[in-house]
Amino acid sequence: MSDVSLAFAQTRYALRGFLRDPSALGFTAFFPILLLLLFNAIFKGVTDFNGTHVRAPAYYTASIIAYEIMLVSFSSLLVRVTTNRERGLLKRFRGTPMPSWVYLFSEIARTLIVVAATVAVLVAVGAIFYHVTISAHLVAGLVVYLVAGVFCFSALALALTRLCVTADAASAIGPLAATILAFLSGVFIPVAVMPSWMLDLGKVFPLEHMARGLQAAFLLPGSTGVTGTDVGVMVAWGVVGLVAAVRLFRWEPLGTGR
Amino acid sequence: MDAVVSVDGLRKSYGDRERLHGISFDVRTGEILGFLGTNGAGKTTTIEILEGYRSYNAGVVSVLGVDPANATRAWRNRIGLVLQACELDPVYTVRETVAIFARYFRRPTDVGATIEAVGLSAKSDDRVGQLSGGQKRRLDVAVGLVGDPEILFLDEPTTGLDPIARREMWTMIEGLRAAGKTIFLTTHYMDEAQHLADRIIILRAGEIAANGTADELSASLGYRAAVSFDADGLDLDRLAAAVGRQLVVSESTASFESANVQGDLQSLLDWARDHEVQLANLQAVQPSLDDVFVRLAGDDVTDEGADR
Repeated sequence: MSDVSLAFAQTRYALRGFLRDPSALGFTAFFPILLLLLFNAIFKGVTDFNGTHVRAPAYYTASIIAYEIMLVSFSSLLVRVTTNRERGLLKRFRGTPMPSWVYLFSEIARTLIVVAATVAVLVAVGAIFYHVTISAHLVAGLVVYLVAGVFCFSALALALTRLCVTADAASAIGPLAATILAFLSGVFIPVAVMPSWMLDLGKVFPLEHMARGLQAAFLLPGSTGVTGTDVGVMVAWGVVGLVAAVRLFRWEPLGTGR
Repeated sequence: MDAVVSVDGLRKSYGDRERLHGISFDVRTGEILGFLGTNGAGKTTTIEILEGYRSYNAGVVSVLGVDPANATRAWRNRIGLVLQACELDPVYTVRETVAIFARYFRRPTDVGATIEAVGLSAKSDDRVGQLSGGQKRRLDVAVGLVGDPEILFLDEPTTGLDPIARREMWTMIEGLRAAGKTIFLTTHYMDEAQHLADRIIILRAGEIAANGTADELSASLGYRAAVSFDADGLDLDRLAAAVGRQLVVSESTASFESANVQGDLQSLLDWARDHEVQLANLQAVQPSLDDVFVRLAGDDVTDEGADR
């Protein structure tokens, strides 16, 4: 059997395991839908985006999609990989003839599939309940940010597994980092009401750029929302994460003195 | 017989502290080698070097003709591992777990037959999370066997299991022996090694304290049995002179070591009859292998705790 078909088999296996894990599924699939419904129940009417008045539901649909991409590819992946390392499973895999890249490919491919499916659901919720219009430009923008987002945040998650000595640490750090970044990046609170210093700080991180780009795709007619700066910052973070992950990633449990 | 594993002068240090002080041994084709030691003796360090997980500082190590420090994929196809601590993902079924591991190997065994071999056929469609501790451990073994390895490394397969699960694991390992598997078994139970292993190595503080069959290890202590009886009311000095042995008295029990139990008991009983003395609680006890283990591996309770 070729390694490519092994990689797909491992991806199916990882996806099946993910779908059987109720906490992972709830956290990454149902929680964002709930957030979208909540925000749209609280913030009605219009908000300001790049100097124009836009509808809040469209703004939040874009924001929660950005948040969801980070939640699955960063927080959830961080917890999953750290948990499997703590269980000794990564060490076990490492002791088989399976090439290392097959495992990493399977986790990232699984992430991409989960992100694509949950984003599709969020777009559908936006279209059905909040009159979000789906255009070719929007779909193109979504695809670009989805791929760039999964690359960037998965790479950062794999690098950060080294800092998370235990699965408990990952379960705390993953969601915490996501929540703080979401506030800094104008995901939960509209950009129009945020202090400018906080937005400037947010611009350092990739979520701000993904959120702004997706908001433009959803809110500005005829725009894909894709800019060189936004995608560039995300790719740059992704490359930093990738280099760090290659140097730092460990297959054996950390912090057991072994 | 050919050596599947051959180790010569193996040394390993962590920082400036040496944990393996140049050990040498072989594992031969088709044998089960029991590798014993207390916690901290270096068992896990040794097995992890053989498995290719750990580097070493000096010596020559060969597993299936390859230095595990340069583990290749082809070599990994030929070895099977059962790690000391590995929790298989609880959300998959037994069959799914064995099947995915089977895909990693070039020439896997039949998944159903492997599950059968570890006695989990009835549990094939149960989730791993629903298995008992002993069943999980046997699933670990199935996952180690599914690549049809030329040598299986079993790292403390029964630690933490209840006595019944332990017996079931033994029965399963006996089945592997009957199938001619070469197995490197670490354990800290002497009775387990005695029951399962063709040959036993006792590791003490990073050095080999003994290497031989269970009988050879017992013989190395001279088969000295302990003869004991109640000391109260006996004239021990005259008794000792009559039997010709040094007596040890502790808590009103007198005892002596004997390499000739029949002869010594004869003298003892003759003396008792001649002096019309009743010898209460008279016993002659052969040393058990546990005594051998305590004798050979003892004085090894390190203050470091971790078994590295």
